[in-house]
Amino acid sequence: MRKYLYIYKSEVISSLSYVLNIVIGIFSYLLLIFIFFNLWNYIYSDSSDTINGYTIGDMIWYISITEILWSVAGGRKFCRKICDDVRSGNITYNINKPYSYIGYLLSSHLGEVTIKFIIYFISAIIVGFIFVGSFPEITALSIIGTIISMILAIIINSLFIIFIGLVSFYIEDANPLYWLYSKFLLVVGTLFPIEIFPEGIQGFLKLSPIYVITYGPAKLFVDFSVEKFLNIIIAQIIYIGISFGLCKILYKKGVRKLNVNGG
Amino acid sequence: MLTAVKNQIKVALLSTKYGLMREMTNKVTFIMDVTFMILNNASFIIQWIILYSLKDDIGGYTFKQVLLLWGIAASTYGFAHFSFKKAFSISDTINNGKLDSYLVQPKNVLISCITSDIQVSAIGDILYGYIMLLIYGITIQNFILFSLLSISGGLIVVSIAVILGSLSFWIGKSDSIADTGNDLMVKFATYPDGIFKGITKILLFTLIPVGITTYMPVWIMTEFNITYMSIVLASSAFFIFTAFSIFNRGLKRYSSSNLMISKI
Repeated sequence: MRKYLYIYKSEVISSLSYVLNIVIGIFSYLLLIFIFFNLWNYIYSDSSDTINGYTIGDMIWYISITEILWSVAGGRKFCRKICDDVRSGNITYNINKPYSYIGYLLSSHLGEVTIKFIIYFISAIIVGFIFVGSFPEITALSIIGTIISMILAIIINSLFIIFIGLVSFYIEDANPLYWLYSKFLLVVGTLFPIEIFPEGIQGFLKLSPIYVITYGPAKLFVDFSVEKFLNIIIAQIIYIGISFGLCKILYKKGVRKLNVNGG
Repeated sequence: MLTAVKNQIKVALLSTKYGLMREMTNKVTFIMDVTFMILNNASFIIQWIILYSLKDDIGGYTFKQVLLLWGIAASTYGFAHFSFKKAFSISDTINNGKLDSYLVQPKNVLISCITSDIQVSAIGDILYGYIMLLIYGITIQNFILFSLLSISGGLIVVSIAVILGSLSFWIGKSDSIADTGNDLMVKFATYPDGIFKGITKILLFTLIPVGITTYMPVWIMTEFNITYMSIVLASSAFFIFTAFSIFNRGLKRYSSSNLMISKI
């Protein structure tokens, strides 16, 4: 475990050199929030209206949190790196190291997104307050609960991206699979709470990764309760176990197919 | 003059053709890139189905008009990235001295540079645009208008990328400015203009000309208007002219350390 902590710490320190890039990247995040602020303002003709239990303020806060989770993942670059490692044969440099490749990917990626997550979270709180003018009912417990849930959500998302990247063992380029996954997460998971969808598919969405990656943490921020917190955290732990197991199996089988020429 | 332009276009088309042939050597990856980009764009239809279940009109657009908006935005983006991929990384080309290999070619430096590579997935964007047109209602007139407006919009998008990327001649690394500008164009282009008000709306028709690349084309397709059409075409010519002027002015300041690269 200590070696992974060391990798994590090294990546955190390394990412501090790119703080300016992160700050510039926030612009893209703020732009999306601004567009959705305008869109929801148009849809909620009266600010006191509620749609499926959500006021316009809840909706803006919901998107602010889900967009953090979607934006900080940096999945496109991360997935491309894994695909390139497999295709170019660079993965061989990691195979013979005294650590698990998946553990290495996970700890280095988490290290890379930590500073980004902190900066985005602080920005979301400030911008959300500017747009909405008030906070949802928050307590110290709800903030801590939301942050724990967000960290677990980032871990699950990272494991899913690793899984998609490792599909490169079987197909030439797994990046297009990532595009689909990220769009599914963006369109179905970040823009609307599950309650907005037709009742028929809400059950399916509550079993899907959306529940643990985007909906759960955002719901805790907007409408916290200990019962919801426990439900979401348990679901997230189960998802971490399953996705980690799947990555392990895929890697173990894939690495047997690996054929690298020269070096 | 006319022969030179004709030759330049011929070289640009040949460059695109060979780029496409190169990318098609791996057919599975090629088909996957195109297909998945279509599916990637199509996923946003879910977003609009949900939004229209909450309200009948959004920003003054019907559901079909939003599909058309997406179609124009996708094909504009697709045309720009398929034919002029390198325009979106011109800042990197300037900063790393990669312009050297284009300077020695007996053709226009800017055109040679920005047409030297293609983006395969952009074919998916172009196809998606025409699929949306098909759903909206295709006629010969619509088809011609759609193609013309996608090309003119695409040329504006490319010109803006060149203008922002060319800032690297003066301020060093301008890639984040260019990326942010390009990002602004893409994000605003897929939402109806009616949801924006005041200063934002003014910006969308001036500094961030999404209004000219996407909104006006939708208005023209919905109800043909010669004034809007003239604005779109004149703006396209204006942005192209500005892009060439800024790039050529910047090129006079260009220096490098004689970078050796192979161009295959």
